Amino acid sequence: MMNSDLQALFTTLEMAALTTVILLIIGTPLAWYLAKMTSRFKVIIEAVVALPLVLPPTVLGFYLLIAFSPEYLPGQLWQQATGQQLAFSFSAIVIGSVLYSLPFVVQPLQKAFEQLGDSLLEAGSLLGAGPIDRFFSIVLPLTKASFITAATLGFAHTVGEFGIILMIGGNIPGETRVLSIALFDHVEAFDYARAHLLAISLLVGSMIVLASIYWLNLPKKYNFKKVELNNDK
Amino acid sequence: MTSKTPQLDININLNYQQFELAIKQAIPLIGITGIFGHSASGKSTLLRSISGLEKNLTGDITLSDKELVNTIQGTYLKPEDRHIGLVFQNSRLFEHLTVLGNLEYATKRCKNSQLSLDEVIELTKLKPLLNNAINELSGGQQQRVALARAILAEPKLLLLDEPLSALDQHSKTKLLQMMLNIQKKLNLPMLYVSHSLDELQQVCDNLIVMEHGKIINVGNIHQVIHQLNTYHESNSDIDHDLNIIQQQTSLSLPIKSVNNGHGLTTLALNDQQDIYLATDEHFKLHQRLRCFILASDISIALTEPNDSSIVNQLFGTIKEVSHDKTNVLLIVCCGSQDFFVTISAFSQQKLSLSTKQQVYLQFKAGAVRTFIN
Repeated sequence: MMNSDLQALFTTLEMAALTTVILLIIGTPLAWYLAKMTSRFKVIIEAVVALPLVLPPTVLGFYLLIAFSPEYLPGQLWQQATGQQLAFSFSAIVIGSVLYSLPFVVQPLQKAFEQLGDSLLEAGSLLGAGPIDRFFSIVLPLTKASFITAATLGFAHTVGEFGIILMIGGNIPGETRVLSIALFDHVEAFDYARAHLLAISLLVGSMIVLASIYWLNLPKKYNFKKVELNNDK
Repeated sequence: MTSKTPQLDININLNYQQFELAIKQAIPLIGITGIFGHSASGKSTLLRSISGLEKNLTGDITLSDKELVNTIQGTYLKPEDRHIGLVFQNSRLFEHLTVLGNLEYATKRCKNSQLSLDEVIELTKLKPLLNNAINELSGGQQQRVALARAILAEPKLLLLDEPLSALDQHSKTKLLQMMLNIQKKLNLPMLYVSHSLDELQQVCDNLIVMEHGKIINVGNIHQVIHQLNTYHESNSDIDHDLNIIQQQTSLSLPIKSVNNGHGLTTLALNDQQDIYLATDEHFKLHQRLRCFILASDISIALTEPNDSSIVNQLFGTIKEVSHDKTNVLLIVCCGSQDFFVTISAFSQQKLSLSTKQQVYLQFKAGAVRTFIN
């Protein structure tokens, strides 16, 4: 692999890792809120979160490009705060990735929180555990499998992004040039050998990632069905 | 240090679409207090309100001068700050922890703990199970862990919400004895909800009866049960009267002799009269035994039945006669104890029974029922 491809790999991994961390930090409370929400606005928020699943990435990319430009408020605020332009920067592709991969993190977590229910949390509170304590001592260990799934899907989906990054990131080596875009460049330049190398690495890498989540989730699956049944008694 | 009896003052209202709970009651917390009622009478909702899990209520609850909730003043103490334990019908154990892990969950969060973990493990006989996973336990074992876990949080009041309802008879008996033992050793007041009067009779000193979200009776358990004998469900749409319980005489009597050579144990009813029942290995001399006799198990004779195989024959005076369509309920006073007897209207006519008449009550040893056996 050539130096420029390695650079693209590092940019990709850095972007995906940062995106995953941000997604877990904002996705966990969002998923929790959605799981506990009973208001009729729930469906609207759920639809907004799920939007990136159906929307062409270029549509999201187009609107983000406009929002990030110095002519509009978000871009202006960013420039005032950091002194740098937001569009075509590493920060821009991370923000774009966070929005684009949001459903991959929120949905599995929301489902896990809904399945967990309130009964064990009530038991915890009566034993003197406050809300933060209950989250780390009950929720997290019992939904660990879903956190692994959410993080891995979020990471893998970010690595595979193309359209949105092309729109808001441009193609700046070391800054916004990620693997999928490097691959596109090789194909455009008819350099099929390098394109093959990148394509096969992405394919095998994704395969390994997905297989390992399924493997991780296999033996330690908690039997939530049993808890649910007991509740009905 | 206060030596007065802890008391729970409840004055709450709660409305759901199909259900209304309205409770205004001061409950002295002595020993185990039973809460009896049919399903949807509001028993569990009451416990959830006391523990803080039920937030949609108006009014106030005070536990020994400490205000748990007061919606007028806007105070609401969170469940984790109330020091009230609750054992649920389903144990609600943490499956990601072992038995010991579940117990330590409570001890780690208990400030100024006085109880030793070993002592509670001893009381609940959990030693051989400590390293087991939760899903390896039977229903009875799970409830024992839940009970131990609740105690280790060192609550000022322990609530029990039908903790035995999913268990078999043997496990029920074992857990009831354990609860009594724990109550006495730790002097921990308990409120025990059940729809089984048999269970409550074995462990409770006082009984609260609920119906349609209201408390309809409170007091000494034997007295309350006797009052229920003549109580008919108020909102019954059905034509015929429907009693809330099986009519019965509820007793707590000292054991006078265990096993008279024929497998019978004697209970002292009063100076002159005894009651006989089948001996059980758990009976101890002079211990007070809780038992009950169903009203339908007692028959009436006008003269002393000298040639009967029936061992219990008590002499008494009819205090009250009341009718429903096919049956007659008699209250017969023997010494100072009232007995409740149901006979057919036919027999009542044949014997022409009326108040102040002197009669003999007859019932077999097997009709004297104990729950712990």
